[in-house]
Amino acid sequence: MQFDVHRRDLPRDETVGGPAGAVLIVLGDLDMAGAPGLRQAVVAEVTAGSRLVVLDLTAVDFVDSVGLGVVVGALRRLRAHDGDLMVVCPAPRIRQVFELCDLDRVFDLHVDVEAAVDAAVNDAPPRGMSA
Amino acid sequence: MTGRPADWIELAVPPTPEYLQLVRAVVGAAAGSSAGAVPCLDPGRVADLRLVVSEAVTNAIEAQGSVGVPDRILIRCRVEFDHVVVEVADRGPGFDPDAVADLPDVETPERLRHESGLGVALMQRLADGAAVESGPDGTTVRLTIRPG
Repeated sequence: MQFDVHRRDLPRDETVGGPAGAVLIVLGDLDMAGAPGLRQAVVAEVTAGSRLVVLDLTAVDFVDSVGLGVVVGALRRLRAHDGDLMVVCPAPRIRQVFELCDLDRVFDLHVDVEAAVDAAVNDAPPRGMSA
Repeated sequence: MTGRPADWIELAVPPTPEYLQLVRAVVGAAAGSSAGAVPCLDPGRVADLRLVVSEAVTNAIEAQGSVGVPDRILIRCRVEFDHVVVEVADRGPGFDPDAVADLPDVETPERLRHESGLGVALMQRLADGAAVESGPDGTTVRLTIRPG
């Protein structure tokens, strides 16, 4: 599958009282070839004022250390602007790569976008690293 | 399939990220097919193999890119009855694998500043063998994957 990042606004009714934000839907392989596209999309969100980004990795077929690095960088960029990043990652294989790098101690890996948004608007304290 | 040694499958790719997916596909297909014999790796271990090979080729691309070497990166794969060996050879400046710095703990703020540095750890965790020969003329990483 060709790498791509699609964007949509967070559903308004789910973010009442919550921060402005977006869902970034990643398709394809998140590796050295795809990583720059995701980094660019996250930077664009932060620049546009998004403070909550839900990164939907449901359609990601493969992730490696470069891809994980961009996810870590996305969290750093958002936290630096008092924002947060939620990760949707239902595929066991992709979750396993997070776990191999201990990044499951940093990110809550949600099964779908709705669960991620619920966790965000319920103001769950961020796990692990703070900026 | 314990008699004649298995043949090497070789692939030479330009040192650019666009070829990573092709490398993973070729190595994964080779390991999963075992040239007509019963594959020795289950799908989970084939996925591990694809990941560690991708990490090694990524490092090779970065190494050659750091000194502007346009030579192709050579990937060799041999599927034995009880393991798979993959070698990745580059013409980069070489490095000392023992000098790779550890990352800060994941729960410290410093860790957020490091977007790279996980590749070697992934190779070491997933591969049954990850041998590195490195010198000023390049690096060869030899990865061995056995059934889980």
